[in-house]
Amino acid sequence: MKKLLWLALCLIALPAVAAIDGAQILQKVDRNLEPETYESYRQLTDIQPDGSKKVSVLYTMKKGRDKVVALFLAPASDKGRVTLRLGDNMWLYIPDVGRAIRITSLQSVTGSVFNNADILRIDYTAEYNVEATEEQKDAYLLSLKAKTGEVAYDRLKMWVDKQALLPVTIECYAASGLLLKTLHFSNIKDFGGGIKRPATLETDSPLYKGYKSVMQWSGLKKRDFPDEIFTLNYLPRVQELRK
Amino acid sequence: MSLPRGSWVRCSVLLLLSVAAHASAAEENSFDASEFEKKPFEIGGYLQLKQEDFALNRAGAFYKLGNYQRPQRDSLDRSTGTMELIGKLRQGIGTFDFRTHSDLQQDQLAHDHTNLLYEGVYSIRPDPGVTIEAGKRTLRWGKGYAWNPIGFVERPKDPNDPELSREGLVMANSDFIFNREGPLQTIAFTPVLLPVGKDVNSDFGAAGHLNPAAKLYLLYRDTDIDFAWQGKGSRPGRFGADFSRNLTSNFEIHGEWARIQQLARPVTDSTGRVTTQTANATSYLLGLRYLTEKDTTYIAEYYRNGTGYSDQEARQFYQLVETAFAQVQQTGSSVLLPKALSLSQGGYGRPNPGTDYLYFRAQQKDALGIVYFQPSITAMMNLQDRSYQVTPELVYTGLKNLDLRLRLFVLQGARWTDFGEKQNSRKLEFYARYYF
Repeated sequence: MKKLLWLALCLIALPAVAAIDGAQILQKVDRNLEPETYESYRQLTDIQPDGSKKVSVLYTMKKGRDKVVALFLAPASDKGRVTLRLGDNMWLYIPDVGRAIRITSLQSVTGSVFNNADILRIDYTAEYNVEATEEQKDAYLLSLKAKTGEVAYDRLKMWVDKQALLPVTIECYAASGLLLKTLHFSNIKDFGGGIKRPATLETDSPLYKGYKSVMQWSGLKKRDFPDEIFTLNYLPRVQELRK
Repeated sequence: MSLPRGSWVRCSVLLLLSVAAHASAAEENSFDASEFEKKPFEIGGYLQLKQEDFALNRAGAFYKLGNYQRPQRDSLDRSTGTMELIGKLRQGIGTFDFRTHSDLQQDQLAHDHTNLLYEGVYSIRPDPGVTIEAGKRTLRWGKGYAWNPIGFVERPKDPNDPELSREGLVMANSDFIFNREGPLQTIAFTPVLLPVGKDVNSDFGAAGHLNPAAKLYLLYRDTDIDFAWQGKGSRPGRFGADFSRNLTSNFEIHGEWARIQQLARPVTDSTGRVTTQTANATSYLLGLRYLTEKDTTYIAEYYRNGTGYSDQEARQFYQLVETAFAQVQQTGSSVLLPKALSLSQGGYGRPNPGTDYLYFRAQQKDALGIVYFQPSITAMMNLQDRSYQVTPELVYTGLKNLDLRLRLFVLQGARWTDFGEKQNSRKLEFYARYYF
């Protein structure tokens, strides 16, 4: 009788546990990757088929689930450019132009395999719902579906390390099912303040055969920012916030 | 030994290419964020070498006016070296930003140079939401790509080079930013005082005015909205609004509307009788930007220029120029010529003097499988007289800190039309710009 009761309870609870697990794993992935509010420096290296490289350096500030600002510190040709993201809205401020223009998530302000959605990434939970969760030997495989049509990738397949609850590989798909790019996380580093996460992200794309882009993190730490800096009027002055 | 005209530009371009290649080879692979710490003083900028070859339109009104009493030519080669220095000095809560512009220009007719302070502004930020600035500053208002009817406190934009830096104006301005939750996410208010005197902003308008202006920005339900105003002073009073919104992630629409109150506009007839017409002038612009899956960007804008001249009014001016030069040929002098020259330096001589324009641009990122290679084509048409300009362009930015751009302007139009009467009928332009 006890066995039957236990089995019945398990059967009732199983779908709920599975559904909660996927969403909870994704929430943990978001917070393990970075605090909700933080600053960081990133280096983006675009490697062409002939081995030549183009390097950009960005200072990034994020607040809440969907507010991000990234300031270009290098190369000299891009220095002072600032990108702002508020949810689905993105703008680019170019000092020579003197005002911000709207940009789209699929463009790339650096001209790299990383597009604006990758460079100004907000929390995965802000953009995606977990459709399915599959437990594999060392990883959870999360199948994610974009919440709206404004999101850069319609679907993601995310392999999450079971122990660290950090992403290892993410495949990004268009609504047509076309594989747009694959993201590979590596080089787990302790940034201090309880932040231990991959310091390197590499991407390749079947659409850019032979090209590769690498993102490296440095100086990632929790920091609170006033709301006013995530506005168009503040973009020309963003660099004054660096310490 | 002297080099042929234009050769020094070509030699200098080769030198820039070699500097850029060396910089690329020396690049380090490691990433250390401490290299990028904020410094009390920062300086950067660019060095640009430009070569322009003009095919002159000897039948055009503006060629005749611009080359009166000069040896007549069919072509002109111009070489220009430009340097802009951009710097920042930080002390306490204050920051001093500056941008200088120097250029050296040479063609077969003239040799010229300019040294200008484009910007020099001191700003303080007592609070993240408050900034107070004073000095020479460029404030760009409006959402249009090629034109900005609500650009009330700035020098006119060149629609052939909308992203070019421009000289600012001396002003005092502030920024007050309020952020909140809900459909109205951001409110930002920018009041401006722009004095005009004998030696300050003298090209803005009549001296002896303080010229208050203001802009209110709202981010409301994912739409950028601005309301702009400039009080009556050195120029007639004016007000306007703009908006910009993404309909989908790859499709943006924008618009501007401006009204200038009691604008005095000199209008000539073909005999040189100039009358001043005073009326409210309404300008507006509607535009879109669309990105395809294959990374082609389309930009299209319609511009109604309420301060411009209709096809009929422009024809009267071109007839006046023709009559003036016919008089010169017949009698050796003309009383009409000074009038035509004076009018050409005003509204009739603007880059876009007409009332209705269409702008179209298509640009392809990473064309032919070459990353950082961007060909584009731009067309601008005066819808009233059907004259137009087409500009194919090639841009390559694959070398570190070096931009290379080649473009050809082809102007087409019948007699007495906007683009048919310009100074040149073709222009080939190449520049190399090295950032440091």
